[in-house]
Amino acid sequence: MSDLELSNRAVRGRALPRPPRAGTVAALAFVAFLAVATVAPWLLQTADPLAIAPREAFEPPSAAHWFGTDESGRDVYSRVIEGTATSLLIGVSATAIGLALGLLLGGLAGLGGRVLDFVVGRVNEVLFAFPGILLALLIIVLWGPGPVTATIAVGLSTAPGYARIIRGELVTVRSSGYVEAARVLGHGRARVLARHILPNALAPMVVLATLGIGQAVVWASALSYLGLGAQPPAPEWGAMLSAGRTYITTAWWLTVFPGLMIVLTTITTTVLGRALAARDGARR
Amino acid sequence: MTSRRIIRTLPLAALAAASALVLAGCTPAAESPEASGDPVTGGTLVYASGDGEPSCLDPHVGGNYPQALIAGQFLESLVSLDDSGEVIPWLATEWTASDDGLTWDFTLRDDVSFTDGTPLNAEAVKVNVEHLKDPDTQSSTGYLALGKVDSVEVVSDTVARFHLSAPDSALLESLTQPWNAIESPAGIARGMEENCLAPIGTGPFIVDEWVPQDHVSLVRNDDYDTGPADRAHDGAAYLDGIEWRFIPDSASRYAALQAGEVDIIDNAQPDTLDQAAKSGTLVEIDAPRPGASNRIELNSGQAPFDDVRVREAFIRAADVNDGIDALFFGTAERSFSVLSSVEPLAYSDETLFATDLDEANALLDEAGWTERDADGIRSKDGVPLTVRFPVSTNQSIPAEQSLFEQIQATAKEAGFDVQLEPLDLSGWYGALFTHEYEAVSAPYTKVGPDVLRILYHSDSITPAPSGYFANLAQLDDPELDALLTEAASESDPDARAALYEQAQQIILGGFYALPLYDQQNHFLHSPKLQGVRAMPTVSTPTFADAWLAD
Amino acid sequence: MLWAVATLTFFAVHLVPGDPAQAILGGPGSQASQEALDQVRADYGLDRPLAVQYLAMLGRLASGDLGDSYALKTPVADLIAGQLLGTLTLALLALVVAWVLAIGLALWSTSAGRIGRAIAAGIELTAAALPHFWLATVLIAVFSTSLGWLPPVANDQPSGLVLPVLTLAVPLAGFLAQLMREQMLDALEQPFTTSALARGETAAGIRLRHALRHAALPAVNLSGWAIGYLISGAVVVETIFARPGLGRTLLRATELRDVPVVIGVVLVVALVYVAMTVLTDLVSRAIDPRIALEERA
Repeated sequence: MSDLELSNRAVRGRALPRPPRAGTVAALAFVAFLAVATVAPWLLQTADPLAIAPREAFEPPSAAHWFGTDESGRDVYSRVIEGTATSLLIGVSATAIGLALGLLLGGLAGLGGRVLDFVVGRVNEVLFAFPGILLALLIIVLWGPGPVTATIAVGLSTAPGYARIIRGELVTVRSSGYVEAARVLGHGRARVLARHILPNALAPMVVLATLGIGQAVVWASALSYLGLGAQPPAPEWGAMLSAGRTYITTAWWLTVFPGLMIVLTTITTTVLGRALAARDGARR
Repeated sequence: MTSRRIIRTLPLAALAAASALVLAGCTPAAESPEASGDPVTGGTLVYASGDGEPSCLDPHVGGNYPQALIAGQFLESLVSLDDSGEVIPWLATEWTASDDGLTWDFTLRDDVSFTDGTPLNAEAVKVNVEHLKDPDTQSSTGYLALGKVDSVEVVSDTVARFHLSAPDSALLESLTQPWNAIESPAGIARGMEENCLAPIGTGPFIVDEWVPQDHVSLVRNDDYDTGPADRAHDGAAYLDGIEWRFIPDSASRYAALQAGEVDIIDNAQPDTLDQAAKSGTLVEIDAPRPGASNRIELNSGQAPFDDVRVREAFIRAADVNDGIDALFFGTAERSFSVLSSVEPLAYSDETLFATDLDEANALLDEAGWTERDADGIRSKDGVPLTVRFPVSTNQSIPAEQSLFEQIQATAKEAGFDVQLEPLDLSGWYGALFTHEYEAVSAPYTKVGPDVLRILYHSDSITPAPSGYFANLAQLDDPELDALLTEAASESDPDARAALYEQAQQIILGGFYALPLYDQQNHFLHSPKLQGVRAMPTVSTPTFADAWLAD
Repeated sequence: MLWAVATLTFFAVHLVPGDPAQAILGGPGSQASQEALDQVRADYGLDRPLAVQYLAMLGRLASGDLGDSYALKTPVADLIAGQLLGTLTLALLALVVAWVLAIGLALWSTSAGRIGRAIAAGIELTAAALPHFWLATVLIAVFSTSLGWLPPVANDQPSGLVLPVLTLAVPLAGFLAQLMREQMLDALEQPFTTSALARGETAAGIRLRHALRHAALPAVNLSGWAIGYLISGAVVVETIFARPGLGRTLLRATELRDVPVVIGVVLVVALVYVAMTVLTDLVSRAIDPRIALEERA
C-alpha cells in the first residue's frame, strides 16, 4: 500500500542509485543493533522493561533512565528495546503475508495464461480500491481488533501491490532472451520455469520485503493508535507511542523515543532495500 | 469536592418501597475564580466533548451519559435536586403521594410552553411517560427508572397523576434525571428520526442544527423563564448559543482549550488537570458522578475466586495506592467503598484493603495454590492461577488502564497470572456474557444506595434478554439479598442506613470487589467562562446562568 | 468493478459472528427484548435467506440506495454525502501541497551539490517514514501549543486546515520527491538536455520545462494510489484534528459494528479511486503524448 512505484523501480534496478556508502554502513549498524535487541534484548537493557515503580513515574531522561520513565515508572529505553521483537514481528509477518498472497496472485497472472491473467488482474484492481486502513478497518469489523488482526490486515492490504510487481517481473523474464533460448534448446516447460523463470523473477523479492517491513511497522502503529492494534502493556512501539500521546503535554519522552525507533527502522529498511536493489541492478 | 450528608425529605410512604433507581445529589465544586464582574449578555460558548457523539439527541432513546450532557441544555425535568440533595421544584411546582404510595399527583407550572409553542400540561407529561415506556422508543435508562409507573392520568391541565404498580421511593430522584426529561408532544409525534435530530424542550437553549461528527448548534431560547428552583437568575440565558463540538482525541481537546478555540472541555485527563492547576490559567470543575465507585469486581461464581481466600489474596497483593497517586496526579482519591464518596450511606473500611504480600502468599498456600512455575505463577492440580481481566477501552481512560497494568504486575508477585484484555465495547460485553472473566471494572451510572441491589442482589446474576447482567461479582448470598430487599422498603432513615451498612459490610468483608476511586468527571474551562455549575443530579454542567466575560 | 467490491464486502460482512439486530438496537449492552429483536429483523429483512438479502442489496445499490445505518437509523447515502466533501477537500489539498513540496524539493536537490542531495535524500526518507499520528502530535505541539500560530483542531477558517493538510502531505511529499528527483536526474542526462543547453537555454529553464515534465509522469500515475493513501491517513487525521469526514465516520461505524455504513464508505472510496485512476490516465496522456501513440501502435 506504500511506495509501490518506488518498489517497482527498485526491483528493476532502475533510476534509484545506490545510497551513499556511509548511509549503507549506518543502516547495517542499526540493523545489527535491532538484531541484538530482538534476539538478546537483555544485552542492551538497563532495567526490567515490565518492572513497575509508581513512585518513579514520569521521570525525564537521565543517566539512570536514558529515555526517561513512563506512567508506571518503567524504563522507557528498556521497553523500546523489548518492543523491537514484537514490532519487527508485526512488520515481518505482515510483509510475509502480503508477499505470499502477492506471489500467488502475481504467479497466477504471470504464468497462468490470458484468461487467468485477466481474472486476477480484475481481482487485483478490486483489492486496490480498498486503500490500506480502510481494508484494515473492514477486516477488524469482521474479526475484531487485536495485534493478529492488525498484522493480517496490513499484510492483505499490501498484497495487490506485490502481485502487480511480481506479475510484471514474470512477464518480463518469460519473454526475455535466455528463456527463449532455453525453450529453443528444447528444455521442458517445468524445467524452464524452475531453472530460469522463477529464480530470476523472484530474486527481487528480497528487496521488496526489505522495503515493505518499515512501512508495515508504520501502518501497524497507526492501527495501534486507533486502539485497534497491539495494546499496552505489550511494549510494542506503536502501542507505546499511542499510550504516550496521552501525556504529550507533560512527558514528551514517552512519544519521541518510540516514534524515533519507528522512523529509524523505516529509513534503515529503505536504505538497505535500495542498496540491495542497486547491487541487483548492477549485476544484471 | 467534599462529601456531605444528603437530607432526604421524602414522604414516609414513598420510602416504604423497593426502588429501581435512586439518584444521589452532588455538589459541583465550581470554584468560580474570583466571580468577578457582572454577567455579560451575548457570545457563543464552544463546548468540546470527549464522550462519544450520541446517535440520537433524544435522551429517551437508549439513555447514556453523553446524551445527558447535551440534553441538559435544551430539556428540563419535572423536579431537580439542590446542593443538599433535597428534591426541589422545576417544571412541577408541587407533588403529593397517596398514603399507600401508589398514586402521585404532580402540579405543573401553568405558564410554560415548549419552544415550538406547544403548552406544557398534564397531557404532555402523559405523552412523555408513554413515549419512554413504548418499546419502539428503545429506551433503556429512562425506561428502567419508570419501571413501577403503570400509567399517567390527566386530572386537569396542570395536574398529572402517576399510577404505580408498587410504592417507589426513588420516583422523585428518577424524575430528576435528564433521561426522563419532558419533551414537546408535537416533537415526539414527528417520529423517531426527526426527534433524534432536534428534540424540542423547554430548556434555556434550542437545538438549531446537528452536523454529524462535528458539532451541534444550540441557540438561546429567548422566552426561557423556568429552571430548577435553585437557579441563579431569572429569564433567558446570557449566552447567544452553544457550539457543542466532538473532539475525541484528549490531547487535541486540551490543546484546543489552551489555544482558546474552545471554552470548556469534559473528560479532562489527570496530567492536564495537574498542569492546568499549576499554571493557574484554566479553571477545573470536579464533579464525581454519584452512586457506585469505580471498582474491580471479582467473579465469585467460578474458580479461582469462588474461594474467599483467593479473593482476599488478590486484594492484598494488588498494590494500587502509589499508582493512583502517580497516574492521577492527586486528582483522584483512593476509595475503600463500593459507593461514591458523595453517597451519604457509603460505608468505608480501609483496614480490609491494606496491601500485604506475605498475607496474600499465606492465603494462597492455605487455599492449595502451592505449585509455582519458573515465572512464579501459582497453580493447583496443574491449573494455573489465571485471572482474565477484560478491559473496556471505551470506559477506562488511559490512566486507569495503566493502573490495571500495575495491578497485573503487583499481583504477579503473589503468583497471579493476570491477563489484561483490552476490548472494544462489543467484545467486552461478549466476554462478560460468556463468563470469560475473573475480574472486571464496570462503571455503573444508575445510582443511589439502591444501586447496591442492582449490583449485588442475586437476581442481577440472571441476564437480561440482551445478555447483560449487573451483578458482575456474581455475588449470591441469601443474607445479603434479604438485607437489600429490606433496606429498599425500610421507611425509617436510620434503620435503612443501618441495613445498607450491614449489606456493604458483607460485600466488602467478602472481598468481592476492590474499590479504586469515585467515577471521575472533570471539566476544565477558560476563566472567561463564568457562572457555570454542575447539576446536583447527575453532575452534568448547565449553562443557563453562564456568561463569557470579556 | 463496484459490483465486485459490493459483493465481496457483503459476503465478508455476513461471515461476522454477532447479530445485526442486536447492533441495530444499540449493541449487546442494550436491554433489547426478544420481541424487539424479532421486530428489527423483520424491519431490516434480516430474516430472509442470504441470497434474497444479497439481491435486494444489489437492487438498492443500482438505484443509489446504500441502506440505513444501524446506529443512526438514517440513510447511509445521506450520511456519506454530508461527509464526502470534507474528506475530499482534505485529500485533494494534501495532494496539491504534497506535489508542491515534492517539486520544490526535487528542483532544489537536483540543482544543489552532493551535500545538498544527501540532505534532500535524508529529508525525503524521514518524511516518508513519519507515522501520521506522530507527525500530527508534533505539529500541534509546535505550531499550536508552543507558538500559538495555528488552531489545533479544525474550524471554519482556512487556518484550521493547515495542520491537517500538512500532516497528510508531508509523508506523501517524501514519497513523491524521491521518485521525482531520480526521474529529473535521469532526464538531465538525456541528449535533449545537451541539445537544449546548446540552443542556449539556461539550466534552470531546462529543469523547469523539460526535466520536470519528464519527472511528473510517474508521480501523476501514482495519484490514484495517493488518494487511497490520503483517505487512509484521513481516518487518523480527522480523529486527531476533530474534522468531520469519511474517515471518522468509518472509524465510528467500525467501533459500533455499523455494517451498512462500513460498506457504504468502502464503496464510495472505491468509486473515488476509480474516478481518480481515470483522471490520472487522462493527465498522463496530456503530459506525454507518447502513451496514446504507443497504445495505437
